[in-house]
Amino acid sequence: MLMTITTLVAQEAIETTPPPPAPPRAAQVPQPSEKTLKNGLRVIVVQKRNVPLVAARLLIKAGGEADPAKLAGLADLTASLLTKGTATRSAEQIAQQVEALGATLESGAGWDTSFVNVNVLSSKLPRAIAYLADVARNPTFKQDEIDRLREQNVDSLSVAMRQPRALAGFVASRVLFGEGPYGHALSGTPESLQQIKRDDVAAFHKTWYRPDNAILVIGGDIDAQRGFALAEESFGTWKATGPAPAAVKTEPLQPKRRIVVVDLPDAGQAAVVVTRPGISRLDPAYSVASVTNSILGGGYSSRLNIEIRVKRGLSYGANSAFDLRRDAGPFSAQTQTKNESAAEVASIMVSELDRLATSAVAADELTPRKAALIGNFGRALETSNGLVTRIAGLALYGIPLSDINKYIGGVEAVTASDVQSFSSSHLGGAQASVVIAGDAKKFIDDRN
Amino acid sequence: MPNRFIRLLPALFLVAGVAFAATKPAVTKKLDVPPIDYKHRTLANGLELYSVQDRSTPTVAIHVWYRVGSKSDPEGRSGFAHLFEHIMFKSTAHMPAEMMDRLTEDVGGFNNAGTNDDYTVYYEVVPSNYLQTLLWAEGERLGSLTVDEANFKSERDVVKEEYRFRVLAPTYGRFFNAIAKNSFTVHPYRRPGIGSIEELDASTVEDVVAFHKTFYRPDNAVMIIVGDFDQKQLDTWVDRYLGTIARPTTPIPRVTVQEPVRTEAKRVVEHGPNVPLPAVAITWLAPSASSPDAAALNVADSILSGGESSRLYQSLVYRKQLAQQVNSSADLREDLGLFAVTSIMAGGKSVEEGEKALMAELDALIKTPVGAAELEKAKNLLLTRLLRDRETNDGKASALGEAIVVKHDAAEVNKGLASVQAVTAADVQRVLKKYVAGGKPVVITYTAEPAKGGAQ
Repeated sequence: MLMTITTLVAQEAIETTPPPPAPPRAAQVPQPSEKTLKNGLRVIVVQKRNVPLVAARLLIKAGGEADPAKLAGLADLTASLLTKGTATRSAEQIAQQVEALGATLESGAGWDTSFVNVNVLSSKLPRAIAYLADVARNPTFKQDEIDRLREQNVDSLSVAMRQPRALAGFVASRVLFGEGPYGHALSGTPESLQQIKRDDVAAFHKTWYRPDNAILVIGGDIDAQRGFALAEESFGTWKATGPAPAAVKTEPLQPKRRIVVVDLPDAGQAAVVVTRPGISRLDPAYSVASVTNSILGGGYSSRLNIEIRVKRGLSYGANSAFDLRRDAGPFSAQTQTKNESAAEVASIMVSELDRLATSAVAADELTPRKAALIGNFGRALETSNGLVTRIAGLALYGIPLSDINKYIGGVEAVTASDVQSFSSSHLGGAQASVVIAGDAKKFIDDRN
Repeated sequence: MPNRFIRLLPALFLVAGVAFAATKPAVTKKLDVPPIDYKHRTLANGLELYSVQDRSTPTVAIHVWYRVGSKSDPEGRSGFAHLFEHIMFKSTAHMPAEMMDRLTEDVGGFNNAGTNDDYTVYYEVVPSNYLQTLLWAEGERLGSLTVDEANFKSERDVVKEEYRFRVLAPTYGRFFNAIAKNSFTVHPYRRPGIGSIEELDASTVEDVVAFHKTFYRPDNAVMIIVGDFDQKQLDTWVDRYLGTIARPTTPIPRVTVQEPVRTEAKRVVEHGPNVPLPAVAITWLAPSASSPDAAALNVADSILSGGESSRLYQSLVYRKQLAQQVNSSADLREDLGLFAVTSIMAGGKSVEEGEKALMAELDALIKTPVGAAELEKAKNLLLTRLLRDRETNDGKASALGEAIVVKHDAAEVNKGLASVQAVTAADVQRVLKKYVAGGKPVVITYTAEPAKGGAQ
């Protein structure tokens, strides 16, 4: 049945095909400047003038991968404690003084990096940078703050463990990386958090938080000279002693394919994750991987979302990503669906990985997926935060900052045969593990 | 990935720690920010056009705000306005299903839409050379939406998954969904905009046809264009693709239901599965977004829960370690609003302790005027967040749309800042006395299902 709702347009005015686009206008990519202070701190400034806001981010080149084996969550706890007291300010004073500026100050740890971010009006940047430097350089790690944050994190984990998506994510990391540096949850576990002592936190900070293991990126309404001067003021006296530690290395894994079901009785949906080893951020296949993922699961019109949401109504959305890290991180495809359709969705996901590996992508699919990627890249640079994130992603891995000008060309150069050969070596569904967290009685046959 | 529901549940904004979007004040010269300089005209068919030129990037944001939201869901069809919004991405007389994605995502742009209690907004950001194409497409779905049974059913399944994703799967989804339901008695704001599986299942293709005919008409639409365009060209294209759509002669139905003043306090107990930590919400009826009291309520909200220096965080989370998460919100809508405080308790702490501590913080703010430094901090946080929200063309269009549709005054987009700056400690006390101390609370507690002892 096809019902036409209303045709109120006067007949003579109907234009049945969309008007074609005008010639495009080229976008400007902001250009970063950089300088290394005497103490080894690398400072990068990227200017964008239209709104009086600045984002500043201090990156430490170590994160959750540097957690000792039994102390999962140490990097995250250490970073989160930075804002909970310094030699001259209590946690409450830090919050009050930062927020009096209308600013936000956040710290945390990811993979390969720990960070402190500040977002602030450009007129108030000098004070905000001084607070950022104080928390990064002079944290006191008081015992009562450690105990308080540990309890809060244990509570947060108790909530996360009841959510199918978070739970599936924890398990997927373990399936892929086992006991390796990327194998645990960044937030740790209720058990590992109990093991972390004040000395562990202080030692983590002393080892990794040093100017020659850090990068300061400032982006937005600020020029380079002023940014360098502010960095010198707040970080110039920061000292490193002894040689900088080497980054923790993750050996590439060839995990066995596994199917894991986590039963979460009465879960409102099942989370389905299909995962396999991905690539490093430094892999020469970066552009090919980006385009491949754009076709498979990056964006609304990618294959996973088309097959699972648009064609079959099985989910609110399905997507995939290469998590690009210093060493090869995971590739994962994920979605949430009603418990009853978990198995169906998992098999669609696996077969979409295979389809990309075994048949060529047509030009009328490849071209728009590249355009979507290039559009996302340009839009992400429109905010000071987005700009800093992009520059930080290059700097953290020692990629030349001028690569920001090569992204578009790199994407445009990818061919259908590049995608297929990359997919056949990196995406075949037969090597992928499947993790499903949900109300298992609704999707597995437990008669055996 | 498009999230076609993003503006619906104020509860989601509570979770994210962001006050409801209906109450954003504006920026003035005090922050050295130019006002949003918009042009406005009304076409002969009633469509309103607002435009803001900014040629700093070669992109343009196209918004169409329809003055119909979840509060106009037909009886027995809660969730329908939102389901309808999804159908607007299907076919028209000259566009096959999902062609909107071809014209946006495929050329490096994106599209999305959101259904709120008071409005439904459709928007795209595209390279600016595609502006004319998108104006044609918006004219298509306003003028000639078509729908077939298969697409309708499939998209309804997507919306049911969205319901599960937002309400059933997250630990506190049912809790936040219960707030409006228990806080209003007769106003349709009481019905969850995300709907329910049963009422979504009851909807039909005929409902879609009727809803489009009733509400999707040029005199119920506000088009907002922000970014890189030539004004004369824009005007010509809007006249050509949207000005030619006829204005129906029938009146547009409006919600006129008045929510009565609460005469007594109420307590509601809700349960759910997989709830490791109990939660509590307390709500009071509050005025509409266009009320002169709106700015003071927003400042009160910022004092209570803006950042880690806020009163609720410092007291409940930091000092007493009673709560895992706290929030407040001045959720002011077109017709009326809710002022609310919420707490997800820390391990081993009870909702009774939470309720008592939340009330103690409100009482303190009512009894003793807030100090000058704390007041200034709360305003700075509000204003800086607002500025960040307006960093992009899309953000500017959203701010303008809220002012026009929810506050009934486009100029509010620029006047709002002065209103926030002018709020005094006495104003904060006065509005809390009026709406909180002088109102009746609804207390909603959320705990694990008692029948299933295993869940804690």
